[in-house]
This record gives sequence, C-alpha cells and structure tokens, in this order.
Amino acid sequence: MKRLMTSKGLFGGTTLAVLAILVLLPLVLPSATLATEIVIFAMAALACNLLLGYGGLLSFGQGLFFGAGSYLSALAMIHGGVGLVTALVIAIVAGAVIATFVGMLSIRRTGIYFVMLTLAFSQTGYFLAYTLSKWTGGDNGLLDVPRPAFALFGFDLVDLKGAHAYYVFVALIFLGVYVGARRVIDSPFGSTLVAIRENESRASAVGFDTRHFKMLAFTLSGAVTALAGALYGMLINYVPLDNIAMAMSENIVIMTVIGGTGSLLGSLLGAGTLVLMGEILSSIWPRWPLVLGVLLILIVVFLRGGLWGGVESLIGRMTRKDEA
Amino acid sequence: MLNLYLFQILNGLGLGMIYFLISVGLTIIFGLLNFVNFAHGAFFMIGCYLCYALLQVTGQFWLALVLGPLIVGALAWGAEKVLIRRIYHLPHTFHILVTVGVALILQETAVIVWGPVGKSIPIPDALQGVVLMGKFAYPKYRLFLILFSAVIGFLLWLLLERTRFGALVRAGSESTEMVSLLGTNIYKLFSLTFALGVGLAGLAGVLSGPIRGAQPFMGPEVLGIAFVVVVIGGMGSFSGALVGGLLIGLVQSLMTTIWPEGASLMIYGAMAAVILLRPYGLFGRA
Repeated sequence: MKRLMTSKGLFGGTTLAVLAILVLLPLVLPSATLATEIVIFAMAALACNLLLGYGGLLSFGQGLFFGAGSYLSALAMIHGGVGLVTALVIAIVAGAVIATFVGMLSIRRTGIYFVMLTLAFSQTGYFLAYTLSKWTGGDNGLLDVPRPAFALFGFDLVDLKGAHAYYVFVALIFLGVYVGARRVIDSPFGSTLVAIRENESRASAVGFDTRHFKMLAFTLSGAVTALAGALYGMLINYVPLDNIAMAMSENIVIMTVIGGTGSLLGSLLGAGTLVLMGEILSSIWPRWPLVLGVLLILIVVFLRGGLWGGVESLIGRMTRKDEA
Repeated sequence: MLNLYLFQILNGLGLGMIYFLISVGLTIIFGLLNFVNFAHGAFFMIGCYLCYALLQVTGQFWLALVLGPLIVGALAWGAEKVLIRRIYHLPHTFHILVTVGVALILQETAVIVWGPVGKSIPIPDALQGVVLMGKFAYPKYRLFLILFSAVIGFLLWLLLERTRFGALVRAGSESTEMVSLLGTNIYKLFSLTFALGVGLAGLAGVLSGPIRGAQPFMGPEVLGIAFVVVVIGGMGSFSGALVGGLLIGLVQSLMTTIWPEGASLMIYGAMAAVILLRPYGLFGRA
C-alpha cells in the first residue's frame, strides 16, 4: 500500500486529486452532461499535453483525430450495428492509424513546419468529412448517434442512457487513461520524450532514434484523442462537422496551454475552464470567443505557466511564507 | 471544351495570385521576425470587410483598393507596437497562442460590426462585363485581378531585391543581430515588415472581395491554404510562395470542373503528394 502512495505508485502524485475532482464534478455542476463534457475534453487535452508538455510537439491537428473518432465510431454503430466496446476500439485503432500516417509525413519536419503540417492535415480531414456528406451528413452533421449499453460477450451489463451512468462510465475511462498516461510519462519512454523536448540533437547523439519516439507519442496521442471524440459523439448523440474543424484543434490546444503544459492535472483544469466559460458566457453573450481571445493574450503575457503553473507558484509562495 | 479549360486556367491563375499575396506576407514576416502569424487569415477577412465597407461609404472601388490594405497594415503596425513586440523572444507556441487570440478578437469584432451572415460585394462598374478575345470571353474583373496582382508581385520583388529596405529585410532574415549591430533600428524594421506582410493579406482580401464576398468565419480556411502554400514552397521564399500559390490555385480551379465538391479537398491532396515526394517542399533545403 505504501508503495502505491508514492509519487510513482498507482494512486500517487496527482492521481488522488484527479479522483477527487472526478467525484466532485457532477456534485458541484448543475448537470452530469456538463461534467461529462469536461472530462471528455480533459481527455483530449491530456493527449495533446502528452505531445506538447512532454515531447515538445505542438500538434494543431488534434481535431482530426477527435473528429475521426466520433465519425468512425458513430458510423460503425449506425451501419455496422456494433456495440459500445467495439465502437470505442474502432475509434482508438482509427485514431492510432491516422496519427501514424499523419505523423509519418509531419514528424520529419520540426518546429513551425510541424505545426503547419498538422494543421493542414486536419483541414484535409475537415474537407473529406464535408465532401463525403452521404456518409457524414456534411454541414448538417451525423444525426442519431446511439449510446448503446455497456456489454461484454453479448450480455448487456450496464445501461448508459442516464446522464449519471454515462458520466461514471466516462470518468472511469478517464481515470484509466490518466493512470496510463502517468505510467507512460514515468517510464523510460517518457524520460526520453522529455530529453527530446529539451534538446533533440543531444538525445539523438546519445543514440536515441528520436523520430521513432516522437512517432510513438504521436500515435498514442491520436488514439486517446479519437477515444475522446467517440465518447463525445455518444454524449450528444450527434457528430457535428465542427468536431473535425480547425476550431476543434484550436480549442484542444487552448485548453492544454491554459491549463498548463507539462502537468497532466493542468489539462483537466484547462478543459474545465474552457468548457465552463463557453457554457456560462455563451448564454450571456454569443460573442464570448472575443473574451477568450483577450484571455489567451493575457495568459501569454502574464501567466506563461498556465493555470496549473499559477496554482503551483501560489502554493510555493504560501509554503515559503510558512517556513519563514 | 478547350475554352472551358482555358477559362478555368485563368481562374486558377487569379486564385493563385490571391494565395500568393497571402502567403508571401506570411513568409516575409516569418523570414525576418521568425514569427508565426496565426491571425493572418483573420486580417485577410478584415480586408474583405473593408472592401465592403469602403464601397458602401465612398462607392469607389479604387479607394477601397488603396485604403483597405493601408488600414489593415496600420492595424497590424499598432498590434506589433503594443503586443507582438513583447513576445518575439518567446517560443513559437506562445506566438501561436497570442495570434490565435488576435484572430478570435478580429473575427468576433467583424461579427459585431457586420453581423454573422456574410456580405456579397458588387463588382465595380468599370470592371463589369467580359473581355472578348476572339470567341473567348472572360470576365473583366478576373482579368484585372490577375494583371493587378502580377504588378503588385513585381513591385514587391523590386522592393525586396532592389531597395535599401529590401536589403535590410533580407539581411535581417540571415542575421538579425548583425543588422542591428551595424546600426539599423531593428525594431522599426520589424514593425514595418509586419505591417507590410499583413497589409498584403489585407490587399488579397480587398481583391477577392468582389469574387467571393466577405464572411466573418473565413479566416481559418484562408490560414490553412496559406500554410499549404508555404509548406509546398518553403517558408521565407518569395518564389516558393509564387509557385506554391499558383500551383494550389490551378489545382483548385481545375478540380472545380472535374469534381466540384472535392476541389478544396484536392488542395490538401496536392500538398500531401508534394510532401511525400519532397519532404522539404519544392524549394526547401533540408
């Protein structure tokens, strides 16, 4: 048990904090649906954070994986009649495959070219979804996406129709992803990623195949993002074209950075902030993205570590006062 | 049939020149300032709306053509002085976030001022109708667009290659520090270059206004296309932006006759093909 509590253990570090937040979210928020939305986007932000915070790779094409996950899982359920688990697995595999393909073409380039390539490829996905309107519904979106019961070996185990039941299901998946992501980061693979972020040529000189590591991280990130996309489609029973638009990629990056890169807990914070801001402000003023624009600028100018960085330095300042 | 293709090729040239003007601005800014402007598409959109607004107020397209880019450039100049200048020293991620913020502000401001529904912009009287070349008829405005942007492109080339300002921009792209040490006020040069690059996007916006109108949410799509051009042609390259822009314009225009729904898709297909064959773009160096 003691080993489990250490920072590298299963419940160590920030995992307990995440567990507490996951339990509190539906209690504090007015609806379980809103809580589910936050957790789903936190998953997408976490996948982006894995790339940006640890690998130093800014992907502006995460919307491609998110959208592909929602479209493909929904299509498999609607036309293939597959169940929940199969649909999610399809999304994960599709996300990984697409990310591998995009990664192969983008990771050769570094820095700003990488950002531009990922953005351009996500636009490819957008126009593909727009063009294949027979399948995707084009501008109208894909309607009547089911949310099947959680079933194993043909037996329906848990019905997820209720908002709270679905929240618990999504929260458990998030917890699994979070713990998995922590394991990845604490593994030698994670340390190598950080080494690449800090100094790619040095990591390469030491003998690491840096492209191989970056590809793996990209594939992993694509798979998790697609899973989030699939869960989102089931949440709102609908796949809007917006799911694969540039604004989606933009939002995922914004959540990641607002929350703070390099801390997985920050992703939950960032997703919560953006989703709640949208929820509250959009009912008051439809032009709320203007506020978001101002906020982004202020964060870069004044709070470069993101919200989590701000919290950390605040805690640091308070504890230092205690010592003195 | 042949005429149809000629028609589409000319359309593609016009479209390509618009893409060139957008991308060359992006490229000049990146070359000198090592700064990525994600608000470039939004400034293009403001150019479109200025074309609409100035036509409404003055009724003079020529005035819009001169004033529009100047206003967009002045906006950029102000933004550079107040904000952009403070973040040059930060990594690219922060450049992107700040300019995404600027793009959101511009986009929402456009909705507040002009409404969420797009505006169509009339073709100026003097350029209405068609030009007859034997049996072949081509719209006057589109022909004007090709010729005018070619002239602008040539003037820009002269500016960059034959003037002191251009020499400083090119030297600064190689080594900002050295130019600064040799006694040039590098910040003034940065402001001017940023204003010039963004002003070119504004000019492209004004020019494309009478063809595709103005919509508040057109920024991201335009930014995506500019990135494709730059990825194909290579960042910081004038000729790369020209060839990339024309290539993409022609692909899009020719595909419109073959597969209208997929025309936009094919832009990105063309990019993937180029990247597959030449990972560093057509003119890029490893």
